[in-house]
Amino acid sequence: MIRCTFALAALTLALGACDAAPSTAPAPAPTPTDAGPAPVQAVPVTSIPGHETLTQDATRKEGPRLMPAETYIRSYLALFGNLAPLEVQTRARGADGSALFDAWNDYLAALGLPDYRVDQPRGNQTNALMMATFERLGVALCDRAVERDLRGTLPLAQRVVFAFDGTPANLTETDFAPRFDVLHRTFLAYPARLAQTDRTRRFFALYQGTVARHRATGAPASRFTPEQAGWATVCYGLLRHPEFHAY
Amino acid sequence: MVRRRSVLASASLAMACAALTPPALAERTLQEYRYFRALSIDLQGRIPSRAEVARFEDPTFDVGQWVDERLRAPAWAERMRTLYMDLLRLEITTAVQFNPQSIVLRRQQILGPDGTPEYVYYRFNQRRSRPETDGDFCLTAAESGVTIDTTGAQRGTPTRVTAATLAARTVLVRPWWLYRDYRAAAPADRFNASAWATRFPNFAPITQLQQEPDGTTVTAAVRVCREEASTAATGTVYFANRPRPATPPFGRIINVPAESAWARTNAGMPLACSGDVAFRSSADCGCGPGLERCMPGANSGTNPPAFTFPTRAPLGPDDPLDQASQAQDDWNLFWWSQEAQRFIEHMVSDDRDFRDVLTARDTWVNGPLATFYKHHAAASCCSASAITLGYTQPEGLFDPARVPSALLPHDTATWTRVADRGPNASGLLTMPAFLVKYGSRRARAHVLYNAFLCRDFVAENVQLAPSTEPDLMRRPGCAACHATLEPLAAYFTRVAENDWTWLPAARFPVMNPMCAGATAAAMSATCRAFYDPAFSSASMGMLRSAYGSAANADAGPIGAARAITQSPEFAACAAENVASAFLGRSLGVDDAPLTSGLSQTFSAGGYRMRALVRAVVLSDAYRNANNLDSDTWRQGASP
Repeated sequence: MIRCTFALAALTLALGACDAAPSTAPAPAPTPTDAGPAPVQAVPVTSIPGHETLTQDATRKEGPRLMPAETYIRSYLALFGNLAPLEVQTRARGADGSALFDAWNDYLAALGLPDYRVDQPRGNQTNALMMATFERLGVALCDRAVERDLRGTLPLAQRVVFAFDGTPANLTETDFAPRFDVLHRTFLAYPARLAQTDRTRRFFALYQGTVARHRATGAPASRFTPEQAGWATVCYGLLRHPEFHAY
Repeated sequence: MVRRRSVLASASLAMACAALTPPALAERTLQEYRYFRALSIDLQGRIPSRAEVARFEDPTFDVGQWVDERLRAPAWAERMRTLYMDLLRLEITTAVQFNPQSIVLRRQQILGPDGTPEYVYYRFNQRRSRPETDGDFCLTAAESGVTIDTTGAQRGTPTRVTAATLAARTVLVRPWWLYRDYRAAAPADRFNASAWATRFPNFAPITQLQQEPDGTTVTAAVRVCREEASTAATGTVYFANRPRPATPPFGRIINVPAESAWARTNAGMPLACSGDVAFRSSADCGCGPGLERCMPGANSGTNPPAFTFPTRAPLGPDDPLDQASQAQDDWNLFWWSQEAQRFIEHMVSDDRDFRDVLTARDTWVNGPLATFYKHHAAASCCSASAITLGYTQPEGLFDPARVPSALLPHDTATWTRVADRGPNASGLLTMPAFLVKYGSRRARAHVLYNAFLCRDFVAENVQLAPSTEPDLMRRPGCAACHATLEPLAAYFTRVAENDWTWLPAARFPVMNPMCAGATAAAMSATCRAFYDPAFSSASMGMLRSAYGSAANADAGPIGAARAITQSPEFAACAAENVASAFLGRSLGVDDAPLTSGLSQTFSAGGYRMRALVRAVVLSDAYRNANNLDSDTWRQGASP
């Protein structure tokens, strides 16, 4: 904003300089040899064709701020069913050798958490390492949620993430939309229909593509069914969405 | 069958979605949803659940009421704690060590009478009446086959120690780190990893402290040198009255302790057994009942490993992110920080006058902190120079007599309010976390100026010319900042640097004729530790750091707290800090109306953070933050 103020001030000065009547006799016209481009005569903005009714937006523009790392971790714990951090670490790591999660301490700095002991300040802006960490933690969360919610027989009321029936094959976009809305509300806290892009359709395409790849002949073996893999991918997409980390 | 399952699934989905789909009349805008999510992040410390979003969509949902409810719950205090921790960073680097010899129990491995390896715990430099072992390990080379060097390392080959020698020189003790009931005549409630994880979370001696040298036998009691095992509360000044030879006698590597003139003069004088003076000056002060005045260590180094506990606790110690084996001094460092953080959280959640964060005499302690204040804090006092100046019984910033006696070292999760720490206590300013984090007096002043007045020391267009002027308030180029910094730093004159030792006016007057000397050469070395020759005269010594303001020096940290909190910038700074954190950006001149309004709300409401945060989150600036999306503002929304 300060930069903006300076820019406006500079512009005002420049315009003022152009508008100002000469206080002394005009300087002699430059000779053709040292003359630059012909000076542009200042005119009011509104006199420029097409600018007569142009409204000027002077409102503050603020980008989203990054969720504090503590909030990210607490949200993560909540999405794991309100477990303690070390319980989440154990669950996320699992015993299946999937290497989905290392240890909390491996992620804290990358998440932007300050280390007061060494005066390392809070990371208030994303960076490549932070995005990669969001990605990795998101995959761990989604995969474990698929295992918990979609693989077993957990009642809908107890499902933290996939609180819907994710097993039907050949979902249409109509079938997909309410289920996606559940996930959208879970992670982004508003209905998918209010998203400013055609988000439901895009995510449906993502889901369909994943299901198709998993169904294809010769597809690599997966511990998920094609439908489970599709929902896991949708979950990844929402957890890596900027609207999840920023607010 | 397939069809029926599909119908059931659809029904379940319909039920799930019905609970989540908002009523038609309660159509919320995207900006409103974002606002609610932001409120949840800032006041609940997490994103809202689906159920909370559904409640938000209810037409009767009252945002103000919801905010008030959140501000009565403890979660938002954590947000405020992190805000002020970001400003003050009250955690201590592990490069700082608090391991005075008086509290560190190291251990040596010897061979018992039957040839079995055993550990014997001892304090480095412990005074003993036997000249062969005075200031050294309690078993001589002739008795154990080994001697100890200046680093605590063993030299020689262990030989069997006879049963009679062991009985004469050592004692078996059931120590506090293994027994809950260590003060009982026959302690029986021994450490049990699984049970104690629930009873006393974050309290766990490392495995090596629970086992004998064979790595399998469970330690029931530890063998300790007899002097260290003393449970006496008071001892007497010990003066051996024997010459100190040029080379260590009796085959020792470490020479016998030097006798001080003070000990000669005061031999036999009673001493409280807590503290460094008792350790260095008496032979009858030990580690107390169950060794509670000492910290255990699993080797013979200066800072041996001792406990398993979190290295960091950004979500608080109740929600640790790891458990790691750490050195004995890290135990105290960790809890110092937790004291400061809990103090801030209570200040906020109890909706107290926020000025109390600097001025209050109360605090919150748990078992480890109670143990520290009762038994360990005095270990940093007093240096030989202080003793020479007559300062032998330290006056703490936290009177040990006010520590709750019911708290034991294991009570990591039991926090008790101490209503009054003592006459010199002043909020965060007299807590170890603050005083050690900001070791120098100027550093203490600077962080206060920065965090609570939102000002910094930045000199502009300064030419630094060579100068011998010692007064930085006058020296060209320095004066621009130091004219303000030095008087503020002077408030901390009476708190030793890198420490919490209080220097009372009775022993350390600002102007002291006993420490006169206008040059370093003219002032005694004892005095130079506390008095600054640069500002002293031939007739009077001046206490270090007092030159900025003698009045401020005598006012102490309480004076600093008063000066900061009475500044008109205090409220504005708090408002700016909170608004900046919640808006996620620095505030500029455009925000002056917002800051001014918030500042007025804060001060008019008695400096309560709850009212300030409420005003911030209900402000238009907060409601309309994150409005960069072009669709939003082009459609006429007015941020």
